[in-house]
Amino acid sequence: MNKKRKTKYALIYLALIAFLVITLLPYFWLVITSFKTRVDAFAIPPKVFFQATLDNYREVFLEKGMLQNLKNSVIVMLATVGVSLVLGLPSAFAFSRFPTRGDQVLLNYLLGTRFTPFVVLALPLYLMMSKVGLLNTYTGIIVAHVAFNLPFVIWMMRGFFDAIPKEIDEAARMEGLSWFQIFMVIDIPLGKSGLAATAVFCAINSWNEFLMALILTGRSTVTMPVAVPGLMTPQGTLWGQIAAVGTVITIPVLIFAILVQKHMVAGMTMGAVK
Amino acid sequence: MRKKKLSNYSLLAIRFHLPAFLALTLITLVPLLYTFRLSFYDYKLSEKGSKDVFIGLQNYITLFGDEQFLNSLFRTFVFMICAVALEVAIGILLALALNAIPKVKRLFTSMILIPMMVAPLVIGLMFNFFINPQFGLYVWLVNTLHLPLPTVLTADSVTAMIVVIIMDVWEWAPYLGLVFLAGLQSISGEYYEAAMVDGASDRQIFGCITLPLMKPVLTVGILLRAMEAFKEFDKPYVLTGGGPGNATEVIDLYTYRQAFVSFKFSYAAAICVVLFLILICCGILYQKVTMEKE
Repeated sequence: MNKKRKTKYALIYLALIAFLVITLLPYFWLVITSFKTRVDAFAIPPKVFFQATLDNYREVFLEKGMLQNLKNSVIVMLATVGVSLVLGLPSAFAFSRFPTRGDQVLLNYLLGTRFTPFVVLALPLYLMMSKVGLLNTYTGIIVAHVAFNLPFVIWMMRGFFDAIPKEIDEAARMEGLSWFQIFMVIDIPLGKSGLAATAVFCAINSWNEFLMALILTGRSTVTMPVAVPGLMTPQGTLWGQIAAVGTVITIPVLIFAILVQKHMVAGMTMGAVK
Repeated sequence: MRKKKLSNYSLLAIRFHLPAFLALTLITLVPLLYTFRLSFYDYKLSEKGSKDVFIGLQNYITLFGDEQFLNSLFRTFVFMICAVALEVAIGILLALALNAIPKVKRLFTSMILIPMMVAPLVIGLMFNFFINPQFGLYVWLVNTLHLPLPTVLTADSVTAMIVVIIMDVWEWAPYLGLVFLAGLQSISGEYYEAAMVDGASDRQIFGCITLPLMKPVLTVGILLRAMEAFKEFDKPYVLTGGGPGNATEVIDLYTYRQAFVSFKFSYAAAICVVLFLILICCGILYQKVTMEKE
């Protein structure tokens, strides 16, 4: 019996490792390529051992101006997270603490917004922004990113606020604190691990977003994902540099994702599965 | 007295909700209504001072006679069904495997987080590089190991679609694996113990206990994925650009092209309205399913 179980485990481990190797191969290949010279990158048979270089990073970020796009991405991401949290947290708190008959309608509205295809929102936003001169501005793309992150923040934080016992609030009411004070000094600090996870998801959503940024940004506000395809020119594709930018886009996200791993499933199903 | 208290309470709720919903109305509801209005007009972007012409249902009539639109809608459904079916199958296997192993579970789950965190656009570029006919690692592997697989993938309409599907499976199968794993872990061990006592086989346990208890999680996972797959854009955009021909032109890509390549904004608006309605139907379904669970 014991031996049979051991071979079963061994087989499962082997299968999992095989799955991981096959899955992660293309990604690691991309990361490795970013450290190769042009000759090494296109060598056949492919080189696993090579002289690592940071030339691709230097060329694309310093000489091609990708640094500006990196800056744009960071600005848009930080502003999106900030605005979404400031607007969304009070609403999430109200869903959790002051349930009313209208809540179901509001929640359905949030869900609908969340599931709307980006192109459906991006088209009118583009036309409206072109009229008021918001195209190619940070404000324009931040507004678009807030539009799909705000429902997400409310939906996620509602669950985290629900997990904080209501008795604490009542005790604070006895002490004479206003609801706004309770929200600010009691519930937000108590919900901070959920808040951190929500902020991280929000940041990733904005950081990885492509379609809206493609439509709404211009020359000076282009974010990194939108700038990358520009490296595929008719004269040839600069794969080493593309790989370098791809690595820079993904590595911070991976680090943050591992930090909030505990809330991963809740975050990616908007709290439907915990 | 009591009435006054109630109204204070509602006022409190309104005050907390107001900033978020005011903003949402401005940045989502108003644009959506604008799209709806636009879909009944002939919109002229280029001519200064020209007025939009009301043309009633003309855009919708053209739309339902537009073979390219219908084809790309059909293509999107094919893509969605194939991708989600594969993701669910792999996801279940992955969840069962992860649930069975006694050690280093955490390490494995950290590793399989990687695909879903990589920006979809980067996935498209990564596959583009990986399967490049001249120097791609994939082509080298196929040639060296003499695998019976085609080497030029994006030139043929069937293999191009398969690659687009595989990209999506690559990104999201591990995600469903994690979601299903969460579902598996929420099943109380008592059920299994009872089944063991009764002498049930592994297959019976899976079919009679695991699957039925997993149903809510499975449905949520499938619906969420299906809705996301319906919005596919980034990966085919950089890998195939919708080609060869229109073979991988999914509906979002088609809409994008109608609006921002052909500049047929009001026609694109009509497509958006149709897409929105389809998604709302899925959303209602999703709502029903998740409410049932609660």
